[in-house]
Amino acid sequence: MLKGIIVLLFFQFLGECIAKFFELLVPGPVIGMILLLLFLLIKKGSFVSLDNAVALHLRYLPLLFIPAAMGIITQIDIITKEFWAIAIALFVGTIVALAFSAKFMDYLTNKGEKNEL
Amino acid sequence: MNYDALINYIHSTPLTWLILTLAAFKLGIIIYEKFNKHTLLQPIIIAYVILLSLIIYTNTSFEEYFKSVEIIHFFLGPATVALALPLYKNLKYIKSLFLPIVLTLFIAGIFSIVIAVTLLWIFGAELPTILSMTTKSITAPIAIITSEQIGAIPSLAVGFVLITGIIGALFGTIIFKIIKIKHDTSKGFALGLVSHGIGTARAIEISEKAAAFSALAMGLSGIFTAVFLPMIITFFK
Repeated sequence: MLKGIIVLLFFQFLGECIAKFFELLVPGPVIGMILLLLFLLIKKGSFVSLDNAVALHLRYLPLLFIPAAMGIITQIDIITKEFWAIAIALFVGTIVALAFSAKFMDYLTNKGEKNEL
Repeated sequence: MNYDALINYIHSTPLTWLILTLAAFKLGIIIYEKFNKHTLLQPIIIAYVILLSLIIYTNTSFEEYFKSVEIIHFFLGPATVALALPLYKNLKYIKSLFLPIVLTLFIAGIFSIVIAVTLLWIFGAELPTILSMTTKSITAPIAIITSEQIGAIPSLAVGFVLITGIIGALFGTIIFKIIKIKHDTSKGFALGLVSHGIGTARAIEISEKAAAFSALAMGLSGIFTAVFLPMIITFFK
């Protein structure tokens, strides 16, 4: 699995270096993700060691958000002040976005099917 | 026996919060599985409540807590890179519905950000909140690093990401029924696009195809948002 872990860290490192050098606004790890995707596409497949390293990182993925998430205790003022704006944006925004996305994709899929006939 | 030295050690070692954080998450997983993986009982939500109570009860500052568990935060980087593999595995589905996928990704992806931001703006929220809302539909690791990039508040961003995921997972199936969505591929893609990983967990219950399209949408929208959002925001600033 060590090889897989080195690959993940190396691609992140590469991504961060590219972001710094070319002054890109895209976060380094995301560039690393895109590069690893390209690498897999060129290589046409993964290998066991990488599969294991990826599984290790993604199995407990939500655990990794906890440190950042706890910062919420420093944001109590904003949340109490803007509670209703946030609640409406989250609730209405999510429902409407979900309905629109599904309907839009359904419409395009149906149209594509008709064209094929 | 040196009582002071002991207390001093417990207060200063990162092990204390590291163990508590891992244990709270493990307890979250146990409870989540006991209740048949109910959407509202996400392991992270349970861990969140436990740790928040402990932090407030022990009067620990966020800076102190974060310093102790920074090693966990570090792994967001390699974990983001790791997301390339599930995306690679689901990329083959792109060919079957290329145009619907690409158009929905761009148009519905932009639409979902615009609607949330507009609502916040109408109801008088301020800029930090609005910026933190822009990453609400992408998977949390990418949301955290992108929100750091655009000058939003990462902790708010994670909170918004989790709530968006839960709302989508709770109401998705009902909405699809009401507006009569025909294809499982559309249901899955919408769930992944709007409600990332939590939506994808829900899509698994619809069908295998829905789950694959959900994972595909989640990966693509993560990249799409992280690439374009910082440029757009810098342009407006």
